[in-house]
Amino acid sequence: MTIELKNLKPRYMSESEVAGSDIYLQPSVLFEQGKKYMVCARSGHGKTSLLNFIYGSNLNYDGQILYHSPALPSTPQHSSALPFSLRLRHLSYLFQDLSLFPELTALENVQIKNSLTGHKSESDIEAMLDSVLPSDKKHQPLRTLSLGQRQRVAAVRALCQPFEFLLMDEPFSHLDSETAVQVAAMTLREVDAQGAALIVTALEPTDLFPFDTTLNL
Amino acid sequence: MLKRLQSRTLIPTQIAGYAATLLVGVTIVMLSVQLYADIRPVLTQQTDVFRNHAVTLNKTVSTLSNLNRESLYFDDDEIAAIQGQPFVKNVARFRSSSFEAYASIALGQQALRTDLFFESIPEDYIDVRSDQWHWTTDSTFVPIIIPEDYLNLYNFGFAESQALPVISQSAIEQVAFTLRLTGHGRQRTFQGRIVGFSGKINTILVPESFLLWANQEFGEVNGENTSRLLVEFSDASDPRIPTFIEGHGYNIKQDELENSKMVFFFRLAIVFVIVVALIIILLSVAFIIMSLNVIVQKNRDLFTNLYNIGYSPRQIARYYQRMVSIITVVDILIAVAVAVAIRGIYLEELSRIFEIEGDMSPILLSAAMLIVVLVLAYNYIILRTIRTTVEPKKRTN
Repeated sequence: MTIELKNLKPRYMSESEVAGSDIYLQPSVLFEQGKKYMVCARSGHGKTSLLNFIYGSNLNYDGQILYHSPALPSTPQHSSALPFSLRLRHLSYLFQDLSLFPELTALENVQIKNSLTGHKSESDIEAMLDSVLPSDKKHQPLRTLSLGQRQRVAAVRALCQPFEFLLMDEPFSHLDSETAVQVAAMTLREVDAQGAALIVTALEPTDLFPFDTTLNL
Repeated sequence: MLKRLQSRTLIPTQIAGYAATLLVGVTIVMLSVQLYADIRPVLTQQTDVFRNHAVTLNKTVSTLSNLNRESLYFDDDEIAAIQGQPFVKNVARFRSSSFEAYASIALGQQALRTDLFFESIPEDYIDVRSDQWHWTTDSTFVPIIIPEDYLNLYNFGFAESQALPVISQSAIEQVAFTLRLTGHGRQRTFQGRIVGFSGKINTILVPESFLLWANQEFGEVNGENTSRLLVEFSDASDPRIPTFIEGHGYNIKQDELENSKMVFFFRLAIVFVIVVALIIILLSVAFIIMSLNVIVQKNRDLFTNLYNIGYSPRQIARYYQRMVSIITVVDILIAVAVAVAIRGIYLEELSRIFEIEGDMSPILLSAAMLIVVLVLAYNYIILRTIRTTVEPKKRTN
């Protein structure tokens, strides 16, 4: 799948705010499957907005987002339901606010997503969680975990589905460098295994992933 | 897991409140419908050989009528006008005999003898067994219907004062008598027997086929005058009927209309109760919908998270749809059981006085209807609420 952005601009930002952006208001920006993109910007420049636009959870933009692929669901391109229909097989998203369920345990938080597609086996999930969390944590309610631990749970969850694009919104903001490396390695394995594209937003450039392209918002 | 997440969002007291009010409302609706179905036949029951809603209609006899008999007859236009009323289903003429007839009965050595006249109405209006109410030119037996009042007059008046035995209707129906018709210098004898009594029509009735034949054989042909009509209403409680009757100076036997008035008020009362019960049901429905809205508002983040990781509004709504549907169905089934039990109690009381036939289909039917309507409505409303809550909206500035 290829994602094309045409003259994209958040409705709530003025043209002067997005002036000089490599993405906003550009006639055509292409994200191709198999490549890794870093989107850099300071706070308030619309990083989260960009990923939400692509994921279809924010529709308040001008311009167009096109999803080119022969294997897309039959939903028409102009329908706002199209991005939603891509969520199970084509797009996965590590939310900045994590969007986890505090009442469930770490393991259940991943299972509730995995059960939609059955992408990973139970043991795969436990192995992935064990690789980034102390092993006694996965059966604890999420609300007892630290913010960094929760971010790792959210990262594991984002990997537990088939995808062609993985969107990560400041994925390492709450992690120390050592854990960040672990999470990045796990993510990279899954992205490469699926032959997917990776779009990561960050405040500062980072070398945790081998990026093909760096774009400034 | 989804179920576990969502089951925590329910508010048990509100669900209990919904179940209780719905139970009350549904029970009352079903009982009222059932009661109406049970009682109505009793009120409109056929206690007579004449069909329901059929009443006799004649013009009011005034001093002027003494001089001019013609003014008591209905002409064809008037009959057509009555037939044309929206509340009139059918109009039939009374035909009367134009020959001499007398009946005699042998009592030991003596014979009782009386002069008679006959009238007839179309067979459709008479509800005695059809094999009895039948006459052909070669039959010598003539069935007769007499007014109930004749028997009452004898039993409670004459027999009382003369210390004679009282006679039951069935005893009279066993007695055969001789019927002699004369006219045009001819005469012929028939066997007569009373096959029924009528409280509604004060005349002596014979089958129409017999009367037509006898009028031709023995009668004086002087044209037919109709002074009485048999009118069948589609709904005797129609409020337009009294206005029409009075407006045209007609006269009607009141019993039937009195009875219809009772049916009318009974129906009014039942409708009132049903409306109140439906309001109770509506309130319970409004209550559970508000409760669901509270749940959705309180758990907006949960639902949005589920939507964000790929759960469709349909999947998110399913738990609540099932929950509310199951509660509603079980509740209505309990209401059916309660209504059936209460019906048992009132039937026991009523069946001492009336003969009540009829099944519980009104209860079951209204239960089925309520289930279908409520479950469909809930499933639609819940899905729509979830959808509008989780789906991103495009702001238009």
